Amino acid sequence: MSSLVVAQLINGCAIGMLYAVMAFGLSIIKGLLNVPNFAHGALFATGAYVCYAIANMGLPFGIALIGAFAVPALIGAMLQRFGLEKLAKADYLLQVLFLFGIALALEQSLVVIWGTSGVSLTAPSLLSGSFDLGFMRLPRYLVFVTVASATCIAVLWFLIERTKLGSQVRAGIEKSEMARCLGINIKGLLILGFALGAGMAGLAGGIALPLLGASSSSGNDMMSIAFVVLVLGGLGSLYGSVVAGLLLGIVQSLSTLVAPTMSTLLLYVVMTLVLLVRPQGLFGER
Amino acid sequence: MNNKHNGWRVPAILAAVLAVAPLTMPVNIANEIVVMAIFAMAANLIIGVAGLYSFGHATFFGVGAYMGGYVLAQFQTSTLTTLLIATVVGALSATIIGAIVIRRAGFYFMMLTFAFNQMAFYVVLTWSSVTGGEDGMGGITRTPLGIPGLGSLNLDDRQVFYALCALVFLASYYILNRVKRSALGLVLESAKENPRRTASIGYSVYRAQITAFAISGAFAGLAGALYALLYRFVPVDTISLAMSGNVLFMIVIGGLSSMVGPLIGAAVFVWLQGLFSLMWARWALLFGLFIVLVVFTMPNGLVGAFEKLRAFWAQRKGGRP
Amino acid sequence: MNTGIALEAVNVSKKFGSMTAVDEVSIRFQTGRLHTILGPNGAGKTTLFNLLTKDYKPDGGEIHLLGEAVTSLKPHEIARRGVGRSYQITSVIRELTFFENVLLAAYRAQRSGRFGFWREVRQDPQAAAQARELLSGLGLERFNDRKAADVSYGDQRMLELAVTLATRPQVLLLDEPTAGLSQRESERVKDVVNSLKSRYTIVMIEHKMNVVMDISDDVTVMARGQVIASGSPQQISNDAAVKAAYFGL
Repeated sequence: MSSLVVAQLINGCAIGMLYAVMAFGLSIIKGLLNVPNFAHGALFATGAYVCYAIANMGLPFGIALIGAFAVPALIGAMLQRFGLEKLAKADYLLQVLFLFGIALALEQSLVVIWGTSGVSLTAPSLLSGSFDLGFMRLPRYLVFVTVASATCIAVLWFLIERTKLGSQVRAGIEKSEMARCLGINIKGLLILGFALGAGMAGLAGGIALPLLGASSSSGNDMMSIAFVVLVLGGLGSLYGSVVAGLLLGIVQSLSTLVAPTMSTLLLYVVMTLVLLVRPQGLFGER
Repeated sequence: MNNKHNGWRVPAILAAVLAVAPLTMPVNIANEIVVMAIFAMAANLIIGVAGLYSFGHATFFGVGAYMGGYVLAQFQTSTLTTLLIATVVGALSATIIGAIVIRRAGFYFMMLTFAFNQMAFYVVLTWSSVTGGEDGMGGITRTPLGIPGLGSLNLDDRQVFYALCALVFLASYYILNRVKRSALGLVLESAKENPRRTASIGYSVYRAQITAFAISGAFAGLAGALYALLYRFVPVDTISLAMSGNVLFMIVIGGLSSMVGPLIGAAVFVWLQGLFSLMWARWALLFGLFIVLVVFTMPNGLVGAFEKLRAFWAQRKGGRP
Repeated sequence: MNTGIALEAVNVSKKFGSMTAVDEVSIRFQTGRLHTILGPNGAGKTTLFNLLTKDYKPDGGEIHLLGEAVTSLKPHEIARRGVGRSYQITSVIRELTFFENVLLAAYRAQRSGRFGFWREVRQDPQAAAQARELLSGLGLERFNDRKAADVSYGDQRMLELAVTLATRPQVLLLDEPTAGLSQRESERVKDVVNSLKSRYTIVMIEHKMNVVMDISDDVTVMARGQVIASGSPQQISNDAAVKAAYFGL
């Protein structure tokens, strides 16, 4: 029995890290641009499909993952430059609807190119199979998901905390008026920020592909949960998303043992409670 | 500038348009437009008039649809009773949820409405013994509409059912428009821009917004029941986030600032969906791009664009805009 | 005209984190008189106003309105009891017309906060008449159907005053009514406020000395969250502590 719990714990960790990566990207975009990215799910799906396409061409999985990051990042940069930038002074609702519309168009484009039945990818042989731990078998790919997600976040941490560009991103998130006064190129920063956030979503899609498969709408559930993570972690706290993502992933996985049909419902109950009792989440400030 | 929406002119024009509509398109499509328009107007009271960007209005629409469908499937209640039940349940659920969600503002408010919608969705999905879960709720039949003194109407006739829906729409438009132009409407519009100032004048913004939620929920629930009657079936996405997104699209396409906008938005949405999906399965791609176009070129929707055009012509003719 | 205490703050305090904005301030405003609060920026004047209208909750002390304790009431309830307030930063509703802005306030004064959801509010006979009367009384009737966003700042300030008056208050709290106005516009506002003196108890935050000296009955000076002087305009203008507060001696 306890091996079942351990298995779910590990499952939860892996999926939680994926949630964390999604939410991290969402947090960057919300922090810098103050807009909830409702195209995040579509970007996740795009990343998955790009990963599939590159892997199918015979290229190594690593290249496919880079593509999974790069293509959505590019799309994100364009969305900011040609879309949100022009809508910066418009009503909030219009910015949100712009992202909604793009999400729709993006998802449908995926179907146009790759058809309706979704895609899947078997993990590269290096990452397939499992480790024999004695009391259970630990799928190698789950470990990879956890490690790859953690690495991604660590790389971004390094960029944000230790580089000049990163400090500008932080300034942009925490004090945008001041950043403008200091001559920081806010326009460029916003484009970079959206690109980074979008790239994270795409990369999550690529990493998740061998594990969960992908369809044009597979990003939607991920995106919804990413919002829960964002709220739980707290707006304005990038790393809150990481902790919250892990927490929620584990909670969701463990609850499937107890009440499988309610496990997703539980997430939204948690979200509601957080919003009502402590809207700034675990680590947020505003 | 809002004066033309007063009085009898606009409802008369609407009635004429609704009477002619089934001659220009399949009556089922016209019917769906009308039902969605009621839902969109209800949502517009909260989103357009009160400026509360609700991302979960399908909750009330869905609650009305499932409730209405349930009593019809289980008890074959009369049409009037069904619609009444759905309206009351819609109002109640909106009052309860509204009382909770308006405790937060801005992004947090949006997230709360989103969370409630998701919770409602997953409850419906898992409570499949009652709701049919993923497969939706079937077994709904249209009971005859009893009109006291005139006998009963067979609603299985498409034209008759359409007439009923059109009448309900006209009544809903009239009522919701009156609410918009009432003191409550003005308080909501004032609070949309500056809730603090509105309170310092002496209004309880909380009470005004809850009242608006109750009214909005009532009409959304009513629309839901009509939807269930229209298709004799309630698919699970009736209460989904996608439906909440759809109604948002309708409102913005039509135009937030008047109660006529939602009808136009609903018409555009349903028409595009119904007619073009036969031509290209990926019509939603065009629709997504259409939304983007509207956002950039017509921030006040089609009604707003129309009014700009009118002002432009008036100016050209030498009159004052 | 009865001379009593219309509004009173007793030992009120307000802290923001470690910063004390208002430090155990007690102050009385007598009925029918115009009482001006002076002080350098950051003295706590606007915070005190916010405490009086319950836009902020006091951390300590009490507020009495017309003899009754009102410390636990909500902002809209204080408003209904007769406190009308204008803001330092113009807070008229820009998307509504002048008429609609004033109508909203006049309607509330009539219906004490209940709002109908059926009748066309713009045609409510009493409220509409009241609104029009007020607007023409202040010389603003030409803007009746103009959106507040479409006029000059000075005219918006006048609208703000009209809205505050339409709530039929007994006590008027005017936060820097001449802020951002030209000399001529300030004179206009000064004359209007002066003409209101007999009918209302007025508490005003002001910086312009000529306005303060010309029309005030009583003056209180605040600095760093505390009251440092109180008296007639003449007494205050000679007070050494006041000079110190203003010129940092």
